[in-house]
Amino acid sequence: MKKLLSGLALLALPMISFAAVPSWNIVPSQSSLSFSATQNGAPVKGEFKTFTGDIQGTPEDLKNSHVKIMVDLGSVSTTDKDVSNTLKTADWFDITHFPKATFIADNFTKTGGNTYTAAGKLTIRDKTIPVTLNFVLKDYSGNTLDITGTTTLQRTAFGVGQGDWSKTDSIKDKVAVQFTLKASKA
Amino acid sequence: MLIKNTQTQYGIVNKFLHWLMALIIIGMLALGLYMSDLPISELKLRLYGIHKEFGILILMLVMFRIVWRIGNIVPLLPPTIPAWQKFAAHAVHWMLYGFMFAMPITGWLMTSAAGLPPSFFGLFTLPSLIAPNDALFKLFIEIHTWLAYGLIATFGAHVGAALKHQFINKDDVLRRML
Repeated sequence: MKKLLSGLALLALPMISFAAVPSWNIVPSQSSLSFSATQNGAPVKGEFKTFTGDIQGTPEDLKNSHVKIMVDLGSVSTTDKDVSNTLKTADWFDITHFPKATFIADNFTKTGGNTYTAAGKLTIRDKTIPVTLNFVLKDYSGNTLDITGTTTLQRTAFGVGQGDWSKTDSIKDKVAVQFTLKASKA
Repeated sequence: MLIKNTQTQYGIVNKFLHWLMALIIIGMLALGLYMSDLPISELKLRLYGIHKEFGILILMLVMFRIVWRIGNIVPLLPPTIPAWQKFAAHAVHWMLYGFMFAMPITGWLMTSAAGLPPSFFGLFTLPSLIAPNDALFKLFIEIHTWLAYGLIATFGAHVGAALKHQFINKDDVLRRML
C-alpha cells in the first residue's frame, strides 16, 4: 500500500509542476491582432477579428510557458472592402484551403524589466517559418494578463501574394504586426 | 519671353502651367476611365497609386496657378466677340478651375473614406481627410465619377471654342496661349 501511494505521488509530480504554470483564457473583446502593410508608399491597415489561443505561461517559469494562437484568416478586415475580399482569395490567404494561421511559441526570453521575446513557428498557408515576437508584459497580477507586442513579417516568405502580387515594388514585402492580448486566469 | 501676362499675350508661367496641366489632366481622365473598369490586380492597384500621386500634383499646381492668375492680368478677348461668348468663355474657364480643385479633393476624400491615404511619389503620405466610411466612400466614388464626366464636357467646350477661333474666326485667341 505504501509503495502504491508513493508510486502515485511520483506519477503526480510532473502534473504538479505543470499545474504551476497557469492557463489563461483570452478576452476577445479586449484583445486585438492588427497589421499594417505598405501599398503605393502609403499604409494599408487591417485586423483579424477572430483568433483563439491556448496559453500556459508565467514570467516565473518561462521554460515551461507555452503559447498557441490560432487566427481565423477569414476574419481579416481592412478599411476597404475590395482589399479585405482580395486578401481572402487564393492568391493571398486562400482561406478555402488554409482557413487558419497558427503561431506556436515555447521559447521565451526576458529582455528587460517587463519586455520579452517569444520565439516560435508561424504557419500561414502551407509555409511554416520561425518568427520571434517582442512583447511587453504590461500587467501580470492576480487573475489578469495584459500583453502588447509586435513583429515584422515578410509576406512573400509565406506565399501571401501569388503571381503578380508577389512583386514587392508597389505592395511591400514587409508587414508590421501589432497585438494586444488580455486574458483571465482559467 | 514674357514671364507675366500682358493684355495681348499669356506669359511663360501661365503657358507652361496651362499645357502641363492639360497634359496631366487628359492622362488622368484616360487613366481614371481605364483603371476603374479593370478587375482587381496588382496592376490596377499600382495604377490607382499613380492616379492619386498625380491628383495631388494637380491640386498643388492649381493652387499655385490660381494665385498666379489673381496676381496677373488676363489678355483681353478680341472686341469683335459678342458679349454672350465672352461670358461663356469666362464661365468655362472658371468651371475648369472648379474641376481642377474638385477632382483631386473628391479623389482625396474618396481614398480617405477607403482608409487608403495617398502618397506623394513616395516622398510623404498625405493625411486622411475623413475617417474610413463605406457609405461615404461610395458617395465620393459617384461624385468623383460625375465630376469627371462634367470635366470632359467642359473641356470639350473649351477645346472646341479654341479651335473655332483658330480655324473659323481666324483670330489670335489660341495663339496667345502658344
